[in-house]
Amino acid sequence: MSLCVAWELAVRSGLAPGRLMPPPSRLFHTAVALAASDELQTHVAATMTRVGIGFGVGAVAGTALGMLTGASTMARRLLDPTVQALRAIPSIAWVPIFILWLGIFETSKLALIALGVFFPVYLGMLSAIQGVDRKLIEVGRVFGFSSLSIMLRITWPAVLPTWIASLRSGLGLGFMFVVAAELMGASEGLGYLLLDGQQMGRADTILVAMIVFALLGKLSDGLLVALTAPLLRWQDTVRSQL
Amino acid sequence: MTTLAIERLGKTYANGTEALRNVSLLARSGEIVGLVGGSGCGKTTLLRLTAGLDRPSAGAIAIDGEPIAGTHPKVSAVFQEPRLLPWLTVAGNISFGGRRLPKAETARRVPLLLERIGLADYGARWPKDLSGGQQQRVAIARALIGHPEILLLDEPFSALDAFTRASLHDLLLSLWQELRPTILMVTHDVDEAVLLADRVVVMRPRPGRVQETMPIDLPRPRNRLAAAYDATRRNVLRAIDRSLRAEQPAQASAGGMSPWV
Repeated sequence: MSLCVAWELAVRSGLAPGRLMPPPSRLFHTAVALAASDELQTHVAATMTRVGIGFGVGAVAGTALGMLTGASTMARRLLDPTVQALRAIPSIAWVPIFILWLGIFETSKLALIALGVFFPVYLGMLSAIQGVDRKLIEVGRVFGFSSLSIMLRITWPAVLPTWIASLRSGLGLGFMFVVAAELMGASEGLGYLLLDGQQMGRADTILVAMIVFALLGKLSDGLLVALTAPLLRWQDTVRSQL
Repeated sequence: MTTLAIERLGKTYANGTEALRNVSLLARSGEIVGLVGGSGCGKTTLLRLTAGLDRPSAGAIAIDGEPIAGTHPKVSAVFQEPRLLPWLTVAGNISFGGRRLPKAETARRVPLLLERIGLADYGARWPKDLSGGQQQRVAIARALIGHPEILLLDEPFSALDAFTRASLHDLLLSLWQELRPTILMVTHDVDEAVLLADRVVVMRPRPGRVQETMPIDLPRPRNRLAAAYDATRRNVLRAIDRSLRAEQPAQASAGGMSPWV
């Protein structure tokens, strides 16, 4: 806060040039102007739609495959080495092939985001299932639960906390990859706004886009935490006491 | 009413450790059998085999003459740790044991059991809000809600302080008198065995075998301060001493090779 005020004063008094490092008041005006022309809303909507769809697809796929490989030794032996090998490819390296396969428009962008979300969710789910306490599984067996009911009534609730944590890191990566996707060619979206600002030499536009990213990321993470909090009320952890 | 027969049971683990050899044991209907012995004598293994959590390498377990393989509807268990499911409320955890009951019957029994274990107002709480002794009470209620005919107890009170343990002994005995399950109880506490059991089976380690079986002919309720109680207790202690001395030669030779073992 004091940094903001100091910078504002420094620029106004002529001590510092405001072109590359615009003061907060300029950023505010730019943001208001962008919002007033509905431009900001369009970009935010485009970015959030991409993140939403990409995250949804990646999270569902990662959860499903992680459950499969976690629950079945055979599926793990067949599939996990391949998935791990694919994970070793830096996600951005997929861009050229996605563009060839899926075209330069929305589909390739969504695929990139979904891929970024997929890996942390998959890994989180797999390791969570393997980490479920054997002692609790035994309780299910002693009381006559079938493998399926043990899966639903013991394994699933036991992995929930880790699963939710992996969704959060997946969401973070989703935002990372939406920027990558939009920087590579888009006509709208906050990533496009970043690129536009760079090409027009408008540092204020770039910074506004960055601030909006920070707000959206924090907001959607907070939303995810709030939505899942009722599922974790039983937890006896430091977090639950905060 | 149900008899539990364990016949020439043997268990060798995949790594070659022989945990049990030729163990035979008969628990008559409604009887409490205490299993005592030094560490490594296979008490817990024996219980896990009876619960159906592990498969025996040799021998058989039969309930009323009928051999069982795997977990069995008539058999229930309380473990060393409460093992409550942290995402279920106290009432939910007790209901969890009533898998084989009709829903309405479970719903009827849960409040009765909550009352019985002295946690009537705790039904909606989470396990994390309970003390260790309270959690173990819930585990006992969970094990008994289905009115099992055989109840396996694996050192269920060993992690508790003396006062809590005494109150849980009382609880267990009164529930036993009401429901009369056959109880097979592993304990390392001789006092506990003499207080609760009709018969004490002393086991001998490496590999686990039965050393001797001693009837506890003390009238209930038992008085810990009575002379007869003390004499019985000393008898069991002597038997445990004998079981440990029996393995002495083997241990001495191992010790001769490496003083660190």
